[in-house]
Amino acid sequence: MIRVQDLTVAYGAVKALVDVTFEARTSAITAVLGANGAGKTTLLRTISGLKSPVAGSITHDGAELTLMKTEDIARMGIAHVPEGRGVIGEFTVEENLRLGALTAKVDAKQSLASQYERFPILGERRRQHADQLSGGERQILSMARALIANPAVLLLDEPSLGLAPLITAQIMATIKELCASENLTVILVEQNASSALRIADHAVVLNVGHVVANDVASVVAEDEKLRQYYLGMVR
Amino acid sequence: MNRQRSPRGLSAAGIVIAVAVLSLLVTPSVRDGVALAILMMLTVTSALILLPSELRRARPVLTRAATSTMVVSVTLVATFFFSSTTDFNLATGAAMAVTLVGLSFLTGVSGQVSIGNGAFMGVGAFTMAIWSNHHATTPIAVTLLLSVVAGALVGFLLGLPATRLRGPYLAGMTLAFAVAFPAILTYFNSWTGGDGGLQLPNAANPPHWLNALFVHGTSSLTSSTLWLTDITIVAAGVAFFFMANLFSSRVGRAMRLVRDNEVAAELVGVNLNRTRVLAFVISSAYAALGGALWTFLNNSVTPATYSFALSIVILSVIVIGGIGTIPGALIGGLVYAYSTNVINWITNQTGLNPQGNFASQLNGIIFGGLLIVTMMLAPRGVAGVYYTLRRQRASKRGDVASPPKETYAEA
Amino acid sequence: MDVFLTSRIASDVLGGLTNGVIYGLVALSLVLVWRSTGILNFAQGAMPMLATYVGMVTFGHYFGYWICVVIAVLVGFLIGAGTERVLVRPLYGKPEINPVVVMVGFLTVLEAVAAAIWSSTPRSLTTPFSPIDFHLSGKPFALSAFSLYQIITAVVVMVAVAVLFRFTNLGLQLRASALAPEVSRLLGVRVNRMLTLGWTLSTGVGTITAILVASNFFTGLTPQVMDGIFAFGFIAAAVGGLDSPVGSIVAGIVMGIILQFVGDYVNSNAIILVALAILIVSLMARPNGVFSPVKTRRV
Ligand SMILES: Nc1ncnc2c1ncn2[C@@H]1O[C@H](COP(=O)(O)OP(=O)(O)OP(=O)(O)O)[C@@H](O)[C@H]1O
Ligand SMILES: [Mg+2]
Repeated sequence: MIRVQDLTVAYGAVKALVDVTFEARTSAITAVLGANGAGKTTLLRTISGLKSPVAGSITHDGAELTLMKTEDIARMGIAHVPEGRGVIGEFTVEENLRLGALTAKVDAKQSLASQYERFPILGERRRQHADQLSGGERQILSMARALIANPAVLLLDEPSLGLAPLITAQIMATIKELCASENLTVILVEQNASSALRIADHAVVLNVGHVVANDVASVVAEDEKLRQYYLGMVR
Repeated sequence: MNRQRSPRGLSAAGIVIAVAVLSLLVTPSVRDGVALAILMMLTVTSALILLPSELRRARPVLTRAATSTMVVSVTLVATFFFSSTTDFNLATGAAMAVTLVGLSFLTGVSGQVSIGNGAFMGVGAFTMAIWSNHHATTPIAVTLLLSVVAGALVGFLLGLPATRLRGPYLAGMTLAFAVAFPAILTYFNSWTGGDGGLQLPNAANPPHWLNALFVHGTSSLTSSTLWLTDITIVAAGVAFFFMANLFSSRVGRAMRLVRDNEVAAELVGVNLNRTRVLAFVISSAYAALGGALWTFLNNSVTPATYSFALSIVILSVIVIGGIGTIPGALIGGLVYAYSTNVINWITNQTGLNPQGNFASQLNGIIFGGLLIVTMMLAPRGVAGVYYTLRRQRASKRGDVASPPKETYAEA
Repeated sequence: MDVFLTSRIASDVLGGLTNGVIYGLVALSLVLVWRSTGILNFAQGAMPMLATYVGMVTFGHYFGYWICVVIAVLVGFLIGAGTERVLVRPLYGKPEINPVVVMVGFLTVLEAVAAAIWSSTPRSLTTPFSPIDFHLSGKPFALSAFSLYQIITAVVVMVAVAVLFRFTNLGLQLRASALAPEVSRLLGVRVNRMLTLGWTLSTGVGTITAILVASNFFTGLTPQVMDGIFAFGFIAAAVGGLDSPVGSIVAGIVMGIILQFVGDYVNSNAIILVALAILIVSLMARPNGVFSPVKTRRV
């Protein structure tokens, strides 16, 4: 479980997050929604230790994360699939996966095999350079690379970005499935509110750094005002 | 405006009086003409410096001309009083400062760095010597110019790849050139005189028009080498004047834009390649002038002077003085001129055996160490520290009109 | 065959190969640092030079050649790691010229310190290999036990580096840290450690190179011994591509052979002139290196 308490983050004088507080429970998907520039990416980067906060705390099962180094946070089992996917184009698919498996306590060969089983497309392309993959394939690779180390927490930054609706639906389904089968704590950052809300258990809506809603996903999904003003969803 | 004017007026008046007194002291022993000419120069200069600040801003070129003339004339007067050793040191430093201001320009304005400027100095130095040996009658100014052209040409050749390269590559290439330079001299040894180098044919023979000023004077103050010193200083003054203008010219601004933001520079129509090569050519040309002046001053040139070590010393003193600034080059020149004295002094004070290994390496340890320390703590050197302090003081006084960031890269 | 092996052409090729592997090694060590930290290390010759003095001269009083080689390489590792930690770490993210200037300063200090401690007089290291050319049917050809030692060592080092980078998890992390430091951090790679390791390895490779150079009977060890070699190594790296380990090694070897012909058929002072010309021409034609694929840098 991830707890974010009174988190304030700034770039110089500009505050990107102000007093953000919420919880992401285990075996549940917490969607973080909001318009461009709302601070969603900043939130995930702060959880991962890529950005240090001005104030507030972030804990994972009670352990304080804010003063830890990114590497150590990752090694605690908090996997972050960054915006734009972050696959290393010069590496082959398999090299990307091997890199993800480095910190795992499991056998690398076995976990590679299990990812190929889960995502057969990656097995077919294992010797190809990652920059030859399609956008959806890259997203899958990026998720597989995060999952290979058996993380406890999965931070996803806009997995649907640039993907066709069908692929988006597939990816969302996979996320839902994984969350249940692996007891993951998922924080899902999305622009695409409707697809995210369809699978999320809980939703947090950000507007220019402030939390404007923090509730059960279905409640957020039904709230006309939220839909209209912050989520850009018109019926 | 008047309030602003009076302290400057006072100091200018003070300078004029001081120079007048000095000149009177000199008159019995030196041709009256010299003193008189200097006095006139100073008067003109002071008048220019007295210009109200709006005019100074409106006529920057004139102001720079005035400043250069002022500094040069004061130095010229001083050379009459100094010992010939001091004169020689000053002139050596002045020629070095010319090289340094070229490098300062390259780095400060275009963001590139060269580690080969010792070799470019060598190009100028040897051009000067070779040409003088073949055409002894060419006027000094023309030979100096030819050396500058030679430096610019070699700079152009080596600078061509600069159109394609980012900083460290260029630095590496100039380093390769500096390391190669002694072998290049040997390769052309039928011209360069091999290890022994070359003598100038008309040593200690000032041109006729100068004879009237210096050599026929009967004073003990005039030595036969004074004219060498003074011509070097005048040449350095002219070079600095041009450079000061270049720093704030349209070309200079274009180069700074290329350094800071290539995309923006291209958008406003700056030709990136031409600008980069030009910066490199100018820097090489200045180095060549510095080298040519050294040859002139010493009446000879030896290949050993232009080793790789010289290039490193050049980099050291400009970094210490303040790379990217004009005053930094002057400070660097002085540091260079007196470094030997200072190092000898340290050797004596610490009781090192002057013939020992350690004493002979003190130079490298100190220069290299200062290079590292300066870059780590004050990357803009002495000049940068001064500008920072001045800005802090200005902002403490609440002086909003104080120069904004980066203007200190200008004269 | 014998006639060919003892011919002038064959001897130039063999001599060139012997020099070329050295340029290739220097180039490789430059590439290791450039790829991991984006810094062109101008002290890449001087740091190994110091390690060689410590290992081969200071410890040379007590131990034999091979033990000293091991000590020197270990000292090289230490110098590389220490330099990255102390001198280089504050330079990341600074303008390009800052690391250039600092490393040139470091080069100066190292050479001066070495000369202060050990003097500038060349020292010849006693090697177990003879520098005298082999003979074939009574005629010498340009290969000695020493040059074989040099070539074999260089090839072993190159292969070892290639294996490390291609086939090990450590190599994977080293490459990842260089290509995508942030992503690597997110995957738990200790990127700072990898940067230090890059410098450590590079100085280790450099030290082996310096030992080979200094063990050469005709060169000996001086504080400046690596200056010229550094210049050739840099040229090779720039020609082959500072991003490309294979390219820079190949460029080093090819250059060694070409320059041997120049030295033999033209004049030994023309060597560096030709090397500079090669550099200029190839940079004009292929700025990212002859062997790197033509592609625009992604920003
Ligand atoms: N590196 C940075 N430097 C300065 N400001 C930044 C930086 N990164 C983000 N910001 C600012 O912080 C705010 C939040 O940005 P953030 O990237 O977290 O938004 P986001 O919700 O992820 O937006 P998007 O949906 O477009 O990805 C924005 O106003 C942005 O301009
Ligand atoms: Mg974002």
